[in-house]
Amino acid sequence: MQAIFLFSTVLMAAYLVRHYIFTLTVLRRTKKTRSNPALDAKYKPEVSILIPARDEEHVIGRLLQRMTQLTYPHDKLQVITIDDASSDITGQIAEEFSKRYSFIEMLHRDKNTGGKGKASAMNAGLKRSTGEVVLCFDAHYYPQRDIVEKLVKEFIDPTVGAVQGRPVVLNEAQNIVTRLVTLERIGGYRVDQEARDNLGLIPQFGGTVGGFRRSILEELGGFDESALTEDTDLTFQIYLAGFKVRYVGDAECYEEAVDNWKAYWRQRHRWARGHMQVCLKHAPRVLRSKKLNAKKKIDGLLLLHVYFVPVLTLLALFAGVFLVISQASQFANILWLFVPVSFYSVVGNFAPFFEIGIGAYLDGRTRLQWLVPLLLFAYLYNILIWTKAFLDLFAAKVFRKSQGDWAKTRHLGNGKCYVEN
Amino acid sequence: MKFQSSRLVTGLFLEAITLCLIASFRFINIAATATLSIFNLLFLSLTIHLNGTLNKKLGILALGNIIGLFWNFVLQYFAVAGVAFFGESFNAFYAVSYPFLNFTWVVSFWSMSLAFLPKPKSTQAEVKP
Repeated sequence: MQAIFLFSTVLMAAYLVRHYIFTLTVLRRTKKTRSNPALDAKYKPEVSILIPARDEEHVIGRLLQRMTQLTYPHDKLQVITIDDASSDITGQIAEEFSKRYSFIEMLHRDKNTGGKGKASAMNAGLKRSTGEVVLCFDAHYYPQRDIVEKLVKEFIDPTVGAVQGRPVVLNEAQNIVTRLVTLERIGGYRVDQEARDNLGLIPQFGGTVGGFRRSILEELGGFDESALTEDTDLTFQIYLAGFKVRYVGDAECYEEAVDNWKAYWRQRHRWARGHMQVCLKHAPRVLRSKKLNAKKKIDGLLLLHVYFVPVLTLLALFAGVFLVISQASQFANILWLFVPVSFYSVVGNFAPFFEIGIGAYLDGRTRLQWLVPLLLFAYLYNILIWTKAFLDLFAAKVFRKSQGDWAKTRHLGNGKCYVEN
Repeated sequence: MKFQSSRLVTGLFLEAITLCLIASFRFINIAATATLSIFNLLFLSLTIHLNGTLNKKLGILALGNIIGLFWNFVLQYFAVAGVAFFGESFNAFYAVSYPFLNFTWVVSFWSMSLAFLPKPKSTQAEVKP
């Protein structure tokens, strides 16, 4: 029992120190100069934008309208809407746009070919795409007009395999769920991704508000359709192939966040299960890789195992309670003090409270940071989600069941009022 | 003269923080001192980089220490009352829940205190939620 408690607290301490370093890094603003602005302006490769959409009638029009307002030269742009066996009028809306604008194309997938998940839809879009760089946006996102320029300029560096922009929650003011998701996003992108990029670690490609070099993805054989989180899978495939992912914090894209706890559960359960699945697939390869240096290996392994932390926290909690009550160990009381620190160190979808607080401060979100203590309740909810995902994955492995179905999040266009006003 | 008074204020705040740490160790327990130390370490190492004068930051830190000390005193008396009312078994409950109860003030105060520091210049967004 002592060994379990010690092991889990040491690992939780490692995660805490990691995030503390991230926060300090962002505060010290050790941002590396990326590229030459004059060269950035000249570099205008052919770009394909993939928009996978399934039953997105409330939001697809908003995004396609935005596509027509992008400042990137339209003659170098190809927008492909992939209507993935929608049962609503998503396809019709996209069709209308493709008739009006020559650079917007439409790819219909019926019930036989489509509906097999985002990775499958993305692969279909990838086959149709012709651009040197492929960007992707989920249908409920709303990008800045100059986002393509901001993202694409990173590909001047031939070692860059993918880029990631910053999602900002659009419907933040809707309710407490959207506000807490906003805080999680701030911690994850404003501090975590930014720091990982600055420190030369492993920034994560998030599957939307980002893109990749088409040649690399073709070489890798496209997206893994069996992966529930194809984005995390791609991130590690890119790194294992010797390329890197860059995070571009000023390339903001506005998203409609989940607005109720049920949708939150479904989304996070898919993320957790998919991430654990990717961990089992890539952790040994990361460890053996000769293309990753020691610090990338450590960060990669910590990132891959991050969804196991709540399970670890539960173990520490049970072992700690037993040791404290039984007074079996003289170290237990001291180590027990550390457990709540660890709890608070992962409250914001693995970002500690201080990381989120600093992120909110840097964004000038004075009122929002007052809600940071409430993230503890979201974290307790997340422990249930992640433990369930862990048990589901374990059962799927033992009984050789399917790795899980695609849990589609419904979007109702709740962020519309902020876009239109 | 202004420079000297500023240093005097800094000294007073530092003294208040030190006294809180000593009082927590002397009159409460080492766990309270450890919590205050973690709070001080986090606050000093992270907020020192933010906007605002040193005295303002130290003032907030001193206030945090006073609140933390008060919180720990309340918890200690809560434990004494609990044992008197429920018996010795309350000690086990208290030992388990103490760190969790103790950290609620750290997170709450820390996140609220940032609002009292001057805002940084943030990037201009096209859509302001």
